[in-house]
Amino acid sequence: MDQIINNLQQFWEYTGFANATFQHILMICIGIGFLAMGIIKEWEPLLLVPIGFGIIIGNIPLYPGFSVGIYEEGSVLNILYHGVKNGWYPPLIFLGIGAMTDFSSLISNPKLLLIGAAAQLGIFAAYSASLLLGFEANAAGAIGIIGGADGPTAIFLSSRLAPDLLGAIAVSAYSYMALVPLIQPPIMRLLTTKKERLIRMKSPRVVTKMEKIIFPVVGLLLTAFIVPSGLPLLGMLFFGNILKESGVTRRLAETARGPLIDVVTILIGLTVGCSTQADKFLQLDSVLIFALGAFSFIIATAGGVLFVKILNLFLKPGNKINPLIGNAGVSAVPDSARVSEVVGLTYDRTNHLLMHAMGPNVAGVIGSAVAAGILLGFLS
Amino acid sequence: MKQSVKYILIGLLLFFRVSLFGQTVIDLRFNELLITNTEDFQDDFGVHSSWFEIFNIGYGAVDIGGCYLSNDPNDLKKYPVPRGDVLTKIKPRQHILFWADNKPYRGSFHVNFSLEDSKVLILTNADGKTILDMVTLPTNMEPNQSYGRVIDGEGSYGPGSDNTGWDVLARTSPSTNNYTLDGKSRAAKMKETDPYGWIMALLAMSVVFLSLLILTFVFKGTGRTSIRLSQKKADAYQKTKNFSVEDISGETFAAIAMALHLYANETEVHDIETTILTIEQVRKNYSPWSSKYQFMRKMPETRKR
Repeated sequence: MDQIINNLQQFWEYTGFANATFQHILMICIGIGFLAMGIIKEWEPLLLVPIGFGIIIGNIPLYPGFSVGIYEEGSVLNILYHGVKNGWYPPLIFLGIGAMTDFSSLISNPKLLLIGAAAQLGIFAAYSASLLLGFEANAAGAIGIIGGADGPTAIFLSSRLAPDLLGAIAVSAYSYMALVPLIQPPIMRLLTTKKERLIRMKSPRVVTKMEKIIFPVVGLLLTAFIVPSGLPLLGMLFFGNILKESGVTRRLAETARGPLIDVVTILIGLTVGCSTQADKFLQLDSVLIFALGAFSFIIATAGGVLFVKILNLFLKPGNKINPLIGNAGVSAVPDSARVSEVVGLTYDRTNHLLMHAMGPNVAGVIGSAVAAGILLGFLS
Repeated sequence: MKQSVKYILIGLLLFFRVSLFGQTVIDLRFNELLITNTEDFQDDFGVHSSWFEIFNIGYGAVDIGGCYLSNDPNDLKKYPVPRGDVLTKIKPRQHILFWADNKPYRGSFHVNFSLEDSKVLILTNADGKTILDMVTLPTNMEPNQSYGRVIDGEGSYGPGSDNTGWDVLARTSPSTNNYTLDGKSRAAKMKETDPYGWIMALLAMSVVFLSLLILTFVFKGTGRTSIRLSQKKADAYQKTKNFSVEDISGETFAAIAMALHLYANETEVHDIETTILTIEQVRKNYSPWSSKYQFMRKMPETRKR
């Protein structure tokens, strides 16, 4: 009888009820909040649903030592988490992004690339702010990259520079990417005049197939020669793009932009969510990271918009750029371009900015990968 | 064989030779040695013997097993490092220590010669011919004084090595770095140099702009070239457009008519079973990433009361 009672007592000690703390419950609530944002509001559902569910899985109170938790050596989740910790998943995501991205709008109007560069200002503003708040330089670099609005890049860089902050940085980056439609429009309105919002841009010219093929080759050579540390991201991005544009590797391109990216998205989302285990995640640093993430997004958006306004000073009347596409320089593809379109349409129902905004949007992907390479080169 | 083909083949051979070495034992360097050992490090048998250290300068593990060590330029294969010993694998940027005690029966890391009666130390590749590194032993060394590269792995190497970068070291450091790096990380140094991050911001933004500016100019150039080529094609088309029907032979018309006839009767293009409705399944590889619905999701709306 004693044995049975002992076993029951032990069983109770192993249950989540016995091990639950307030922090676990709070994190589970946050996970449910992410699920709600993804399912009900449909904000970045492909990312928020796996991350939200991952947060719930990662915060089930566990009795340690059963090789179940994500931080326990040899557990299934731990093995899957290696892809995040060692930076394997982000380049694979970039491969898929490259295979699904059409760089035509950028090729037809290359000066839009510079908007993608200007929007990286958010990264370095957040880097400076993080240093001021007392973070070490490597952690500041990892936090700053949230301003690039690029989840895979944020995960890749933080896995190298500040693995301890990876969970908070990744969740913050994806949260703000989901909130792009809420964060960006007020800043865009604040920094532009009504006249500027009505600027009509010239239709992009038709880009030849040869130009599309040259783009990934030359793009890779130029960017990777300048920032070799960004090679895992840039190499895969441009490789994916040449699979798409070459026209002879259709099957590979379809795999890269379809099943492969879907599988990796599931794994990255779930494991990043799981990594937010309450005891590691609920700290003052995480709160600061969230605040710095918001700050970097605001500066990045403002940087893009203001840069277009400055650029317009040097452009002829017919060639002016609508500053409402400046926000798209952050690389949240394609949501920030979609924001440009929607905000633009509220002022002129016939002025479609989506195709124009896709230029800086994909330039932002390149720009944030280059910025990540620089931070890695300086701080690792 | 054509001359150009010969050159290409020679180039390829050289390339593969270089690339093969590039990933393997070419990364090994003699790094430090001690000729007379009376009270320095002891081996596993508690004996003071002369020793030498080999350093892997690469960022991948290298197995020294199969290579040769010698103190005689006329006998490069004097001591073959045993294959199959897991300990002969040198981790990236790490060292391995050999005891030159002329007692090879004591294990893989005890060679069959001593440094005290040697003039030179040679590391040879597994082919027994290619010298990977060699060092001329100094003659004026005090007992228990080591001679090594001032900075690990740096300086002259290979068959013609003139010991550049080598010197008498202040202290012996078997199986560890000769030069100890400053304990501070690069990030910590960066924070010291640039506590507010402004230099970093300025520098990094300049690099990002420079990268994308170069891309901008390159693609402006390719765009112009492309437009020019398209214009040329259009011009050429315009020129060929001015022709007379009389200039075309009857055979051309016959060929066109035949092509149209074949096209019209092409079963894959037009279903000849006019009364039968055929439904062919169209396979589409669906991915939510490429779904228009996902891209065009609703913008958040404020609820009006």
